[in-house]
Amino acid sequence: MLYASGIGLLSFALGDGHVLLSPRAARAAGVKPRVLSAREEETLAALGERLVPGSRESGVSLYVDQQLAVSLEDCMLMIQYLGVDPPFTPFYRTGLSAINAWAESRHGEKFSELSDTQAESLIDDLSNEKLEGWEGPPQGLFYFVVRNDACDVQYGTQEGFARLNVPYAAHIVPPSEWG
Amino acid sequence: MTLPKDKVDVVIVGSGSAGSHFAARLSKAGRRVVALEAGPDIRTEQMVSSMLWARRLKWKGAPVLETGPQPIGYVFNAGWGVGGASIHHYAVWPRMHENDFRVRSLYGRGLDWPIGYSDLQPYYDRVQKECGLSGDSKAEVWRPAGEPYPMGPVASANQGRVVRKGFESLGMKVAPLPMAIATKTYKGRPSCIWDGWCDAGCPTGALANALSVHWPEALAAGATLHPNHQVVRVLTESKGTRASGVEVVTPDGTRTLVMADVVVLAANTVQNARILLASASPEHPHGVGNASGTLGQFVTTHLAAPIFGLHPDKTNPWFGAFGGQFLNQEHYDEKENFSEQGAFGSYQWMIAQAMKPNGLLGMAPSRPDLRGSALKRFMERSTEHMITMTGVVEDLPLAQNRVTLNGKKDDWGVPLATVEHASSPESLALWQAAVDEGLKVFRATGADEVWNAPRAPMHIMGGTIMGTGPNNSVADAYGAVHEVPNLILGGAGLFPTSGGVNPTFTIQALVSMACDRMTGEAPPPSA
Ligand SMILES: Cc1cc2nc3c(=O)[nH]c(=O)nc-3n(C[C@H](O)[C@H](O)[C@H](O)COP(=O)(O)OP(=O)(O)OC[C@H]3O[C@@H](n4cnc5c(N)ncnc54)[C@H](O)[C@@H]3O)c2cc1C
Ligand code: SF4
Repeated sequence: MLYASGIGLLSFALGDGHVLLSPRAARAAGVKPRVLSAREEETLAALGERLVPGSRESGVSLYVDQQLAVSLEDCMLMIQYLGVDPPFTPFYRTGLSAINAWAESRHGEKFSELSDTQAESLIDDLSNEKLEGWEGPPQGLFYFVVRNDACDVQYGTQEGFARLNVPYAAHIVPPSEWG
Repeated sequence: MTLPKDKVDVVIVGSGSAGSHFAARLSKAGRRVVALEAGPDIRTEQMVSSMLWARRLKWKGAPVLETGPQPIGYVFNAGWGVGGASIHHYAVWPRMHENDFRVRSLYGRGLDWPIGYSDLQPYYDRVQKECGLSGDSKAEVWRPAGEPYPMGPVASANQGRVVRKGFESLGMKVAPLPMAIATKTYKGRPSCIWDGWCDAGCPTGALANALSVHWPEALAAGATLHPNHQVVRVLTESKGTRASGVEVVTPDGTRTLVMADVVVLAANTVQNARILLASASPEHPHGVGNASGTLGQFVTTHLAAPIFGLHPDKTNPWFGAFGGQFLNQEHYDEKENFSEQGAFGSYQWMIAQAMKPNGLLGMAPSRPDLRGSALKRFMERSTEHMITMTGVVEDLPLAQNRVTLNGKKDDWGVPLATVEHASSPESLALWQAAVDEGLKVFRATGADEVWNAPRAPMHIMGGTIMGTGPNNSVADAYGAVHEVPNLILGGAGLFPTSGGVNPTFTIQALVSMACDRMTGEAPPPSA
């Protein structure tokens, strides 16, 4: 079971136990996803990276995976106020599976293995809701949600603010690098 | 802390903006007050400065089904736990104007309030002293009569100054934004330091809300507050003409009753209506307070009109309060100003809000079309050069915009609420007129890129409206339910019209007026 600790670092399963890590550190430590499958996690990381460069490294896929495992009370995902009822896992799972299905039917490859041109054209169609017969959540919403998750880990952390030269000036400092 | 077994003077449902104010006033007047809050205890230590952590403060209770073309955005617009939405609200506190109370009589549309501005004015004046408002009443040339603010205005900085030039070059005025934020030490609360973390909760107490103002007073005066206690129903005595208490689910899942002489419902606009509908009994077959059939009806939500720009000057948009620096209510009193475009109503501009890079109201989501390297470039420029303001646009009350119960139930068997909402063509046209004006102002600043975001819902009002009698409304001007006068409603659910201003100052003024009646105190001297 994953949980968010009282101080906010995320608890990730590593080996036989749990450790408190930021998603970036969890990614570096080779933490495996617990809710999403390895393929879903890879697709999410690849899509996040295409939308927001740097977000793969910042741990977008492990952040979302960890957040899908916590209770609604602890949930920080933006999806909670975008008109989708909890639990949110089916939203991500069906969206990731649909984007992979499209990648395979168009190009015979998983989304994460598409060339730049192939991936960009697929994302163009996704964001403009042009993927006919798409079997996931509303296309524009899926794009918006993943883009925001990727922005959260890439730009919404203390490190992300520093990257943009924005003073963080916290009243209460988030206890983890992504918080 | 255990619940009382005997009857108390007042039981309050909900511990947010309205509930905490009732608790403070009534306990200070010697009443034995018990407050029940469905969500958890929230402490200032939990107000972590982060747009991610901020989302932990949003509504986490029973889901609300939203239907209609302009949904109300319930989860974003509602709070959960001690302090409710007040603890992550932005403290923009303008007054409603005189014509907001008489929309039906003056214009033949919408509804009238059973009171006018002059009835509420002394309470606005009282509340602004109690809670500590900052502003410049003289500069607000459009402001209805009232005492000056007890504190000088919020800081203006680069972003505000850039946008002000845009207004001024079109011959329009701006005034400092009236805010429930301390600009100097006020009743022991520190001055704001303009870091823009208000959306995540202000842990210093600079921003007036339930945790910084009313709960400390209420608890000191002996009120008791019980988090994690969800009220499921209001009880009435055998004839149904008096409330006798509430049924509540305790943290261990036990159902119990809290009996009281007076029941105050302050569980937010949607939940107040839901609880009243779910309290149907043989005496109140369609819900308590529903003799008129208006219970649930006339839900309104301001139509937000967010305008953005990139300006050559350095604007440092992350600096300041989340609510903004300036206000413009240029056309506020002219509800028919844009009638040729089919528009009706009032709007105001909240100008130069502090922005963070992420979050729904942040820089990145303002341009959802950008991604990859284009997004990266945009973000690097935005953090130094962005400007923004938001129009708060009136939503005409329509009977078909309503809270109803649906076939699903929560964990305690209470039917879930559905909220249907479609803005009138007049309100949609007013939103468009506001957007056109906003874009023009931003172009006039010399910005090199200007754009607007789609319409978004902001604040939730109506559903348990006040009126002159049980034939047209749920409650009277004091929030007392017509058929059950010792059942008092608090919150923006009472508003028959939304106006084009943020609702919380008016919520507070109404609570203050209701408390005067409940305690038999004389109205403030300026009445
Ligand atoms: C992001 C944001 C920014 C805002 N900014 C502004 C602003 O700048 N200016 C302004 O005027 N307004 C603003 N508002 C609106 C303001 O927060 C609300 O008007 C105000 O909080 C409403 O007060 P209330 O007491 O009715 O509800 P709340 O303050 O939300 O309190 C209701 C409480 O009731 C509890 N409750 C619900 N159901 C039950 C139940 N069954 N049993 C027990 N308890 C229950 C809830 O958990 C909650 O704590 C903002 C709101 C949001 C969300
Ligand atoms: S900007 Fe001011 S009111 Fe907002 S969180 Fe910071 S100190 Fe509090």
